[in-house]
Amino acid sequence: MYKYFLVARNTWDETLAYRLNFVMWRVRTILQLLTMYFLWLAIIPQSSSFLSYSRDLMLTYILGTSLISSLVLSSRTYEVGDNINNGTLSNFLLRPINFFLYHFARDAGDKAMNIFFSLGELTILYLLLRPPIFFQTNIETLLLSLFAALLALLLYFFINLLLGFIGFWSPEVWAPRFIFITILTFFAGGLFPLDILPKPIFSIIELLPFTYLLYFPLKIYLGQLMLSEIFKGLMISGFWTVIFYFIARLVWQKGLRIYTAYGR
Amino acid sequence: MKTIEVKNLKKFYQIYKKDAGFWGSVKSFAVRHYEEVKAVDGITFEIEEGELVGFIGPNGAGKTTTLKCLSGLLYPTDGTVQVLGYAPYERKTEFLKQISLIMGQRNQLWWDLPPMETFILNKEIYEVEDKKFRETLDELVELLDIKDILKIPVKRLSLGQRMKCELISSLLHSPRVLFLDEPTLGLDVVMQKALREFISEYNKRYHATILLTSHYMRDVEALCERVIIINHGKILFDGKLNALVKKYAPHRIVRVVLGKRVDQKEIEKLGEIKTFSYPEVILTVPHKNTGQITANILKSLPVEDLTIEEPDIEDVIRIIFQDAK
Repeated sequence: MYKYFLVARNTWDETLAYRLNFVMWRVRTILQLLTMYFLWLAIIPQSSSFLSYSRDLMLTYILGTSLISSLVLSSRTYEVGDNINNGTLSNFLLRPINFFLYHFARDAGDKAMNIFFSLGELTILYLLLRPPIFFQTNIETLLLSLFAALLALLLYFFINLLLGFIGFWSPEVWAPRFIFITILTFFAGGLFPLDILPKPIFSIIELLPFTYLLYFPLKIYLGQLMLSEIFKGLMISGFWTVIFYFIARLVWQKGLRIYTAYGR
Repeated sequence: MKTIEVKNLKKFYQIYKKDAGFWGSVKSFAVRHYEEVKAVDGITFEIEEGELVGFIGPNGAGKTTTLKCLSGLLYPTDGTVQVLGYAPYERKTEFLKQISLIMGQRNQLWWDLPPMETFILNKEIYEVEDKKFRETLDELVELLDIKDILKIPVKRLSLGQRMKCELISSLLHSPRVLFLDEPTLGLDVVMQKALREFISEYNKRYHATILLTSHYMRDVEALCERVIIINHGKILFDGKLNALVKKYAPHRIVRVVLGKRVDQKEIEKLGEIKTFSYPEVILTVPHKNTGQITANILKSLPVEDLTIEEPDIEDVIRIIFQDAK
């Protein structure tokens, strides 16, 4: 297992090798966060609510998406498609290393970096802005929320691998990914909490895997879900995670059969 | 059990063709014509443990494809492949731990990190013991003379330095079977020689089985007793290097330095002239008559110096490929 730890650590070091790039990326993240924050601050007047969300719940949701997405939505798996197309995938196939675990370790390194800096930034922002934030104090709720986020992390990982595996059949791996990202930002609840949508639409979205990436763990954190709703959600997201894992494995095995290792 | 057994191996690719330019792209966007390329088309050979075999062929002959099938990167279209008793494409851990494929243009090094980081990672991946790792690494670093670059990020290294590091990272687990695809590519003459000596030494010391492709016939000549020649996915020759020379070039080269000018016709009587630029004449003479003809030359020409050489291996290969066309 130590080898996968090394992969994670190397990924961390690699990110830090480009200092300017790194700083700019963090600045971008903070700016995005501030934009959303001030937008909602302006929309909801003090001590009133907007579509059943009070001001502090909404602001917690917005700041929370930033933290959860640094845990769930940060990934290096976009490299997989390129690896296949330029033949560097051979490097993994030649060594006794599990490709899925290798990339998971790489993601872990990336995520650790993300969370580390996100937490730091959020703390600073909190101290500067003193926003009205809702703190969940129930340990059980917190743990459930964390568990939902970990499940989301796995789900997102397998979906991303699958998008990369398109590379086995087509060199055009980026177009499907862009569509996916566009769909994702909306359906995962990265822009606003999804339950402000009309009920019929929401009940369909609820069955899709995307909802469980951001919206669901945050909803648990805010304490707005009943235990039965939480379990239903965990079932659905667990179901999708298992499904995507098996599809990813199947596609990986099929893909290897037609892998040509060209370019190297 | 033979170390490598290949029976009737075939590997076909589907590729599509595109005309150059914008219009070609548009046409290829609308309709794609796929073609089947027979990269390897039914080859059979066996290699014993400890053999060092040269794999020769022009560009696109199917050498690299064969190596990729042997190392488990590709699924064969047809036929069977066995290496160390394993089917390579199953990529079993025990199999992968015993082989290495080294390609002149591979990059497993972490681009932004020093090579040492990749070495340490490979140590863990291959589960090499600390002591063994130290020894192997010291030996390789010494041999390839790269002690001073181990801590410099890979992206700052020169092509040759990178090649050396790639080589080290592929050998840290002391593989029993080595597939070398153009190992001397991008190295200077001094390094080429050092690397050749290293390969030969590695083969002898560990009794490792090595299959090597190269465009530089010098590599093959210096290293391999046995060669397999392949073109258009088929084997043209499999046997000892000197048997190859005898079979395809049953002649020798006689190089004569003349003391004074002689009419070209005088020389033509003695043997076939390959080149003639005074004072040097190069003759090709049949293998079995070499003694007789040299005696004649010495008798009838004002010879200052005379040497008899085997034909250049590159010429022999050229003859084979031209015949095959």
